[in-house]
Amino acid sequence: MIDPAWVSGLSALLFVIGLAGAFTRKNAIIVLMCIELMLNAANMQFAAAAVHHGDTTGWVYTIFAIAIAASEVAIGLAIFLAMYGQHESITLDDVNVLKN
Amino acid sequence: MAGTGSSELIHSTAAQYAPYIVLLPMLAFPIILLLGKMMNGDKMWKETLKEGGLIALPVMGASLLLSLWLITDFIGAFGGVEKLSDWTWFTSSMWNSGVVTTEISFGFGIHIDHITVMLLFIASFLCLLINTFAVGYMNTDPINDNRNHRFYAEFVLFCSGMLGMVLADSFLWLFIFWELMGLCSYLLIGFYYERPSAAYAAKKAFLTTRVGDVFLMVGLAMLWDLFGSLDYAVVFSEYNIDKVAASNPGTLAWALGLMFIGAVGKSAQFPLHVWLPDAMEGPTPVSALIHAATMVNAGLYLVARMFPFFGAESMHGELADLAFIIAAIGGTTAVMAAAIAFVQHDLKKVLAYSTMSQLAYIFTGLGAALYLANTLDWHHDDTAHAIVIVAFGAALFHLFNHAMAKGMLFMASGAVIHEVHHAHHHLHPHDDHHHDEDPEELLMLANYLADTGQSVFGFFNSIDLDQSGEVDTYEFQTALKKADIADLPPWDMQRLMKAVDMDGNGRINVPELELTLGRVHLASLAGDDHHDHHDEFDAQSMENMGGLASKMPLTATAMLVGSLSIMGFPLIGGFWSKEGIIANTWRVALEDPRFFYPALCVLLGAGMTGFYMSRMWLKTFAGSPKTEVAAHVHPTNTWIKIPLFVLTFFSLGGILFAGMGFTHWAPDIEYGLMSQKNLFEGILYEMEHAFANHDVFFLILSYVALFIGAIVGPGIALSLYGGALDEGESAKPWFAPVLALNTVVKGRYNWDNSSFAQSGFATALTNRLYFDHYYDMAMLKIVAAFSFKAAQADADVIDGTVKTIERTSQQLSTTLRSLTTGSARDYILMAAVGTLALFALIWGVVA
Repeated sequence: MIDPAWVSGLSALLFVIGLAGAFTRKNAIIVLMCIELMLNAANMQFAAAAVHHGDTTGWVYTIFAIAIAASEVAIGLAIFLAMYGQHESITLDDVNVLKN
Repeated sequence: MAGTGSSELIHSTAAQYAPYIVLLPMLAFPIILLLGKMMNGDKMWKETLKEGGLIALPVMGASLLLSLWLITDFIGAFGGVEKLSDWTWFTSSMWNSGVVTTEISFGFGIHIDHITVMLLFIASFLCLLINTFAVGYMNTDPINDNRNHRFYAEFVLFCSGMLGMVLADSFLWLFIFWELMGLCSYLLIGFYYERPSAAYAAKKAFLTTRVGDVFLMVGLAMLWDLFGSLDYAVVFSEYNIDKVAASNPGTLAWALGLMFIGAVGKSAQFPLHVWLPDAMEGPTPVSALIHAATMVNAGLYLVARMFPFFGAESMHGELADLAFIIAAIGGTTAVMAAAIAFVQHDLKKVLAYSTMSQLAYIFTGLGAALYLANTLDWHHDDTAHAIVIVAFGAALFHLFNHAMAKGMLFMASGAVIHEVHHAHHHLHPHDDHHHDEDPEELLMLANYLADTGQSVFGFFNSIDLDQSGEVDTYEFQTALKKADIADLPPWDMQRLMKAVDMDGNGRINVPELELTLGRVHLASLAGDDHHDHHDEFDAQSMENMGGLASKMPLTATAMLVGSLSIMGFPLIGGFWSKEGIIANTWRVALEDPRFFYPALCVLLGAGMTGFYMSRMWLKTFAGSPKTEVAAHVHPTNTWIKIPLFVLTFFSLGGILFAGMGFTHWAPDIEYGLMSQKNLFEGILYEMEHAFANHDVFFLILSYVALFIGAIVGPGIALSLYGGALDEGESAKPWFAPVLALNTVVKGRYNWDNSSFAQSGFATALTNRLYFDHYYDMAMLKIVAAFSFKAAQADADVIDGTVKTIERTSQQLSTTLRSLTTGSARDYILMAAVGTLALFALIWGVVA
């Protein structure tokens, strides 16, 4: 069995990759994917902790988080569709209506 | 043995029906109002029921019959407090650490004693007569058409207020009915509410009496605090008074003093007298009602009610100062009001000031009687007892005489005004059709359009903000503001809208505006000859009367008898009581030198009364007609004649009432009505006391008072006013001596009083000694200044706080707004940084 510490490490790596992607990429879909990556990193962290402590609570949280992630993706994609309808683009730099 | 509390329990079936005396008129109020609303304009309602007048009449008649029944049952039995029938309103408990300590129940009960009996008769009898008069007065004037039901409804409510106040068995209910009367007086004085002066007078009467009522309420609260109840049965019980007198008599004096201020307001005494003359704005029956039957008597009733406190043995001497204040206020008002009455030209205003002055007499008399009751040892000394009883009785008897005479005088003056008014309409019918004046703002608008060269259509389009094709009130208001014509509040805009809006849909369209402006423009060109008729004929001014004795014989007789009664002319009505008041005030003055002030005032006032009452009669009925209108006056109608006829006999019969022991009208069985002597003995006794007193001081005093009141005062008036009737005019034989005397005296002296009339004092009197002026000024200074400060505080503190919060948050948000880039990645970055910061924070705390 893999040591939960390795899983935890991988989770951290995935999270940082997701964060960096979310910071740097312009395409909204990619940013969304990065956010999903971070979420899954968190899930992995939960799983690792659950194994480490021998407690099922972490697994339960993971399942919840996956459900939330799914709905979040649905909403995110809907927002992008609406955004495309308004701005004919899903590049984040083109959309800054909240500025000032 | 003389003494109080010779209470005799009476079982009377009349007492069971006593609540109906109050309830009948009270129930008639909604009935008349609703029927009037439903059947307004209906022929049957107008002709047969006189718009409610003939519903009110039997109701008041029933009240009078029930009152008389009650009075006859109780007439021989003065004394104890009778709680006859009781109806519990609600019960309340006082709690002290979870335990009920006291149970108090508030209920309505009937209380009958000598004061109740007196006022009950005055109120129910005069209300019925005034109702009869009102049918002849209100229903024959077209100005009242289709709204008389409002008059009669408020009238019966007013009467029920007075009757209820008199019958109530506690100060609480006295106060409730007192306020009911206040409300009705407001409604009735403002009956012609479309006249600004009437609306103002109503407001003034309401607010001025309210000032007194606040004090009354505080006084009642103090009384409650002392006795734990406001029921007469509790507060007037000797045991309770003794207890209070032992602990804090000073507080009781203050409570009674504050209650007296309430009476001052209600009875229009100095310094709260300003509302009474203005109350003449109401229709004449209302004046008669307020001045004779109800309102002003309420204050006197309240003071008379306080007798048991003053009379209690344990309060001996404690309330003498308050008694003096009552007498002093009375004395001051008596002279002041009489002086103002000298220069009034308005017939009703003379009577109004006369009321004020005569009520002041009653207050002085009550003050003297209460002083005597408070200082003499009348519980054990028979002579002192008789003195107290007679002093108190004289004041109450004057209340009776004044009510009868003043009710008659007001109704007679109403008859005169009514007929002069009709004669005027007969002679100048065109004055009847006052064209509604167009608002001047419309003329200004027409001129504005002409000046700026705009077409009505163009202007209309520019003000029709929502382009609906019609202009509503708001748009019109904005347009007028923009054109710099007027910035009117919404209620004034209604007036303009009404003038323009022809179809009455609440909005203006182009043709309406065009037609109206055209009409206004034309009217302004045709203009100026319309202004000739603007000086209105005043049907109430005595300057427009004169010589009416031959044209309205019954009215003139009634006026003559009423005036003589008020003047205290020997043997007629008020003579018996006025002599008593003057004598008793002087009696007190001999004991307490402070009382010389009210004593001199009432003596002087007697002469002044003689002058202004004679002046009024002579100016109205003697001499030759001063205007064409006065020459064409006709006798009045039967409805008006009935009460005049009845009351004339009541005033003429003063000697009978005096003989029946009305001057001994006091809480003791031995001095009750008809209980001391038979009628003949009583009359002899009164005659002897009035004209041949054994006490030299009072003998001289009564002749001095007689000389001043019946010879000097009227004599001066006879030499100044009136004169013989015109050639060919015949008057009733009983006017002949008056008119002959008038002619002789006027011919011999024929004084010229123009120098006095132009003096500063006369001007001051005409301006009512500037009381209204200074009150208005004080109001402006105090109330307006306070309002201004309050408005400032509102703007600076309350609005200021809100605005500061708003401004600060605005500034803050402007600063913060510059941080937002609108870029999603920046938000993510910030979220991440924020999370990290939180994490670090938690880490720092935990570690």
